[in-house]
Amino acid sequence: IRSKGSQEETAGTSNGLGGRNRSERACDMGDEDDTGAGPSAISDEDDDPTRRREIRSKYRDLINQVQQNREDMLNPANNKLTDVLEEANKLFANVRQAREAALDAQLLVLATDLGKEKASQLHAEGSAFDPSAFAEHLLSFMGLNRLEDESGQDGNLEGYLPQSAWQRLAKRSEYCFKTAPSFHYILGSFLAEPPPPRQRVERQRKAPSKEAKRMMPTQLKKMEESNQEATEREVERILGCLQKYFADDPEEPISYYEFVIDPNSFSRTVENIFHMSFLIRDGLVKMNLDKYGLPCIGKIKSTGHHFSCVCLNVLRDDMYYWCTIAPVEEGEVELGGAAVRNQCVISINQKSWRVSIL
Amino acid sequence: MSIHFVSVSCVYYSQGSIAMSQKKKAVSASQNKTQRRSQVCLDEDDEDAHFSQITSSQVQRAREHFTPVQIDRKVAEVVQFILIKDQKKIPIRRADIGKHVIKEYKGIYTEIMNRVCRTFEQVFGLQLVEIDPKNHIYILINKLEPIHGEPVSMRPGNPKTGLLFVILSVIFMKGGVIKENLVWNTLKKLRVDPGEKHDEFGDVKKVVTDEFVRQKYLEYVKIPHTEPVEYEFRWGLRAEKEVSKLKLLEFVGEVCAFLFLLHSLIQLTNLSVIVIINVIKCPLINL
Repeated sequence: IRSKGSQEETAGTSNGLGGRNRSERACDMGDEDDTGAGPSAISDEDDDPTRRREIRSKYRDLINQVQQNREDMLNPANNKLTDVLEEANKLFANVRQAREAALDAQLLVLATDLGKEKASQLHAEGSAFDPSAFAEHLLSFMGLNRLEDESGQDGNLEGYLPQSAWQRLAKRSEYCFKTAPSFHYILGSFLAEPPPPRQRVERQRKAPSKEAKRMMPTQLKKMEESNQEATEREVERILGCLQKYFADDPEEPISYYEFVIDPNSFSRTVENIFHMSFLIRDGLVKMNLDKYGLPCIGKIKSTGHHFSCVCLNVLRDDMYYWCTIAPVEEGEVELGGAAVRNQCVISINQKSWRVSIL
Repeated sequence: MSIHFVSVSCVYYSQGSIAMSQKKKAVSASQNKTQRRSQVCLDEDDEDAHFSQITSSQVQRAREHFTPVQIDRKVAEVVQFILIKDQKKIPIRRADIGKHVIKEYKGIYTEIMNRVCRTFEQVFGLQLVEIDPKNHIYILINKLEPIHGEPVSMRPGNPKTGLLFVILSVIFMKGGVIKENLVWNTLKKLRVDPGEKHDEFGDVKKVVTDEFVRQKYLEYVKIPHTEPVEYEFRWGLRAEKEVSKLKLLEFVGEVCAFLFLLHSLIQLTNLSVIVIINVIKCPLINL
């Protein structure tokens, strides 16, 4: 008997309820009409339709009460739910018919659900986390600027939330997900183009492609030559420059560094050094150190010490460009005649280039 | 001893009878094909039921009937089908795979699906996971764990991910089930009002209660016996598999701890509010 009653209780509030002796009532419950004549054991009270209606109305009140004041009932601070159940218990004492019992059952179901919710509220874990505070923290994370007020928004919201706010949150939250990247084709749509335009395009494309092919071999040939030619042309160009200078002033040596360094381009500078070394190698210009010890370029004279080079290495070693001007080997004919073999190593890197521009 | 035997044979008998009744159901279902109701789900349940009725002899016949090349092709078709279906992140039903792709290769369904799973793992680094063993629903998730410090993808983040994260973390921190009002109130604090159109999310209520629910990130369930009707939110089946609770908790902790520290700092040192706010704005403090 107790267990039947407690089945309804355990899902309810933590406050214990008195057991309801339902089995005792069960034998009293029949499905008599209000006006029908029942077994002789029933008293007048049970027969009275007003009384029946009263009980049913009270049950309905209780049910309404529970439904309308749900939040209130859930409040752990009060025992309103228990009160309702106690009321129902009292009412149940007078229940004689199925209709009333059905209402009682309905009320109990409601109360059970509420009781379950109320019990879950008692979880300690749930109460420690405050979603409002969490929201405030999130706003800060998203970059809320609390000093600036959003104009035109309602007064409760302070501060300006930047456009990228949700993006920022999304980027950080992505880590929590093991989302599979969506599969999308990189180009094209599934819409089929109507056939005629496609054919026209194809025909047009076919014609130029043949010519393009024919063009290719000649172009390539030109490319091959130009690599070597380009260097030669450059060297010749530089020689021409130098000769112009010397024409103006044959005796004045030109500072090497001034000549080769291009203040606008480091790579150009390296190229200039490279080309200059050809000229020196071929003996077309001479290079010697001036009174300050800086290299300078001068016109070839018949005598004198000057540098000459054969082997030219432009090495790239940790951002340094090394240009070694190596001595001439015996047997090589030079324009300069009997020249003393000397060697000069020039190095340049971006840093020193920048410094030298200044 | 004898009693023992009887009980064992009873078990076999009852298993047999269950199998019998299932077969009968399948047979009658196929007989009813002509009288089929318009309910689509009923159709697909029958289609799906076929998968469990395949006998080993059927499998053998199927394997002999198709060439290895054909089977390879079928595997590739299934892979492609799943990849396309996954674009919207709506879980894929086994019945759909059967109806649209596998069709007559039903007999070797298991073999095909095994190879499909292997292909996903080895070629794409993805995992095909059955989130609902009862209804046979699959999702694709990433097999590779995201590495902290490296961007998860090169594409700009989808703002909906942030929205989903907020809801999932509140549900998680509150024990796994919350009433819908809690979600709406929290979002309102974040300037996202379900009643208004939002710049980034549009119809927020639809995104949360329809899109996320269809994608199985969330469950939006009616609370029984409520008048007017109220709903509660839970984690969906996809979220259970796709979201790392640990990582989520870490992030929640980061978000809260930072300001907790700051709060303590204010109290300890009496720093002015302006200084603190500028500290928050400082780009170095990038969680």
